[in-house]
Parts: sequence; C-alpha cells; structure tokens
Amino acid sequence: MSDLMSTLAQANFPSPMAPATLAHYLAVSGIMFGLGLIGFITRRNLIIMFLCTELMFQAAGIALIAFSRYHMNHTGETFVIFVLTIAAAEAALALALVVLLFRRKESLDAGRWSEMRG
Amino acid sequence: MGGLASPILLYAACVIGALGIALALPRRGVSPQIIGALVAALGLGVLFVAMGVRSPGALPNVNFYIFSIVALGAAVRVISHPRPVYSALYFILTIIASSGLYVLLAAEFMAFALIIVYAGAILITYLFVLMLATESPTADQVEALNDYDRYAREPVLASITGFVLIAAMTAMMFGGVNSRSLPIVTTYAGAQRLELLPKKIESSLREARLIDKDESIARDPATGQYLIDLFPKPGTDAATHVPSVMIGYGDGRTRAIGPSTPGWPKDLVLSNVEGVGFTLLADHPGAIEIAGVVLLMAMLGATVLARKKVELDEREKLAAQTRSLAGEFEPEKSLLRAPEVAGGPTTRDAPTRSLGEAARGFLGAGGQR
Repeated sequence: MSDLMSTLAQANFPSPMAPATLAHYLAVSGIMFGLGLIGFITRRNLIIMFLCTELMFQAAGIALIAFSRYHMNHTGETFVIFVLTIAAAEAALALALVVLLFRRKESLDAGRWSEMRG
Repeated sequence: MGGLASPILLYAACVIGALGIALALPRRGVSPQIIGALVAALGLGVLFVAMGVRSPGALPNVNFYIFSIVALGAAVRVISHPRPVYSALYFILTIIASSGLYVLLAAEFMAFALIIVYAGAILITYLFVLMLATESPTADQVEALNDYDRYAREPVLASITGFVLIAAMTAMMFGGVNSRSLPIVTTYAGAQRLELLPKKIESSLREARLIDKDESIARDPATGQYLIDLFPKPGTDAATHVPSVMIGYGDGRTRAIGPSTPGWPKDLVLSNVEGVGFTLLADHPGAIEIAGVVLLMAMLGATVLARKKVELDEREKLAAQTRSLAGEFEPEKSLLRAPEVAGGPTTRDAPTRSLGEAARGFLGAGGQR
C-alpha cells in the first residue's frame, strides 16, 4: 500500500502512465475555469454564483499545482494555500452579504438587485 | 514534434462542448439536460483523444483521466443542477476529484488540506447559508423551485463566451507550452534544506541501525552546529563533494557515514509537507502576513455585517406593517402601547383589540393574509 502511494504520489510515475503532460493538467484547469465562468454568467441564484467563483479558484489551484510540479519547486503549492485563504475569506464575507440581502428582499435572485445603488 | 493536439480537433472539441453545455443548462420549457450532458461528455472525449493521438506512450495515465472526468462532470452538474443544495454537493465531488489530481502531481499536503478546508469548512458554510436563506414553502407548493433556479440566464451566449475563452486558453497546447512530460525527478528545488532537520536525519538513521544507542550526530565543538554535510555548498566544487554525516560518541570520537554507506535509508529526503513549510516560511514570509491581514479583515467584516440591523425596503416595510396590523397583534407590543393609550390596567385590552378590528375593517380583504 505504501509502495503504491509512493509510486503514485512521488515523482516516479509507472512508465505506462507517464504521458500525462503539463498541457493535460492545464486543459483540465482551463475547462474548469470556463465552466465556472459560464455558471457565474448564467445562474441567477446568488449563492450558486459564489459557488461558481469557488470553481474558478479551484481551477487556478490545479494550474498552480501543475506548474509547481513542472518546475519542481514548492512555490505553487504554497500559493494554493493563499487561494484557500482568499476563498475562505470570500465565503465568509460574501455569504454574510447574501444573508443580509436575502433578509431585505426575501429572494436570492440576482436580477432583483440590478437597481442597487449606494 | 509540433503541438500536442491538432488545432482543428481542439476547436471541434470546444464547439461540441459549448453546444453540450448550452443544452445542459436549465431553461424554460423542455430542457434537454441529459442530451446536453452527453454532448458535453463527447466534447471532452474528443479533446482527450485529440491530446492523446500524438502522445508517444502506449497507455495514457488512467488515474489522470478518471479524476479529471469526475471533476469536470461534477463541475457541469454544479452549474446545471436546478437545486442549489445538490450543486453544493456536486462541488464537493469536484473538490475530492481535484484533490486526487493533486496527489498525482505529488502535492499530498495540499490534497488533504483541500479536502479539509474546502469540503470540510467552506462548503459547510455554503450549506448553512443555503438553509438560512431559503424561502419558506407555502402550503400549496411544498417542493416548488424558484424561478431563478429553474431558468438559466442567456445559456447560449454564456456558453459561447466561456468556450471562446477555453479555446483561447487551450490554444497554448499547439503553441507556447511544450508537450514534454512532467520531469521524472525525485528532488524538488530546496532539497538541501534537509540539512536543517538534524532530528529527522538522526531518527531516520537510528531506524536504519546506522547509529547506535549511545551515539548521536556530532556537533562542532566551537559553534555547536550539527556536522551534516549532505549537499554541496554554493561556492564549493560539486563534483568532488563527498556527502557525509558525522556521528559522535560521547567521548569526542567521531566517524563519518554517508549515502554510500550500506543500509543508508532511501527515504531520507525532504517530504512534501516539509518542503511546503520551508517554502512558505523561509521564502514567502510577507505573503503570510498579507494572508493574516486578509483573514482578520474578513472576520471583522463578517462580524460587522452580521450585527447590522436590516432595514427593510419601503414596500416590504409597508407590507410587513399591514400584515402585523391585520393579523393577530403581538402581545408585547400591546403591553407596551396599552398604558399610554388607555392609562389603566383595567381597560388594557379593549382599545388595542378595537384597533385590530378597525385595521381589519379598513383594509378589507386585501389586508387578509
């Protein structure tokens, strides 16, 4: 079991598994970012919109980790920690705002707040 | 060798994917979600085939494909599921699958931190807010979905926008980013920081029975530093460097062992967590400060927002007043108001009740809930 883990986790991929390149991971990251963007544009529920921003954060994290592995240093991994930090701060603040907005209008529809002003 | 995927196949995959996502998003009338999901999956398959055609190996990395398909499929469900709670649960699935990708990329610590922080903490916050901010179901429609959950806003245009962006981002696959495999190396940059962990080296060597019970890693008698010299120092010749660890007995005698010693532990390298920790604290200390300030501000902001008293809209306020006037009046309010109005405990009930009656009569049927 630990052998398997180290084979998977450390740098030695089993040879038939080698051809997953950096571009593969970047493609996954790009598609996930695009899906998050589409969701942010199309969904009208405020909470789901923020969930879609988390999806975009996640895509950025995959790209960071892939580059970190590609350049063989840990800088990308440490910056994923900051992505997590920002995501947590954003979740706390944005969700507090969403609850406030919901208590005002009893609705989560983003369209109902289109005339919001100062 | 040129790019990894032929551009025509790549763009075809993007077009198919955009079509599928546009179909999969919830819309008015009959919504062909399943067909859309299948078409999107087809687009993903075309993309992966396009990327696999020119890759030299026989069998692709199976784990990568499993994790990425699960992650992207769940991401499609996050943006297309009409029920917000299910969207949040599918997002947890995305998180778990992408932490599998992290493990494949040799970032174990971040993989587990991701599951703990995202799936454990952030998503629970989302679920709490979903529970708090849900409109209470009325008697006649218990399971009804809101309009804004059922219909997407401009699904076609949004899909086109998103997939134009994806095509632009993945265009690097036949351009800038080369198609080399990830380097098969066991040492990350900064591996020489292993020398800063004498306790780890000592316990590892002790486990390998290279150090006896009464021995330990020797220290320089003058400076008190551990005599560990496993990596060539900058400025010295790397070719002639002999890695060694000095082992000292209690009485001052020393002997040197090194990676050429039989039985030297193979796993005596800087682990992922140690590497991330050194990079975080030694290379980016300012970033930690910034993260601390950001978290503090978020905490303060959330507290301020949560304490704020909500001012209802004028219209909503009027509706609420109407409701409270027309419905059963609240007992505390009547207790507060009664002495001013009536001046005595004996007539406390009569004026307020008549006020309620009057309001009901004045508002007529419109005031009734």
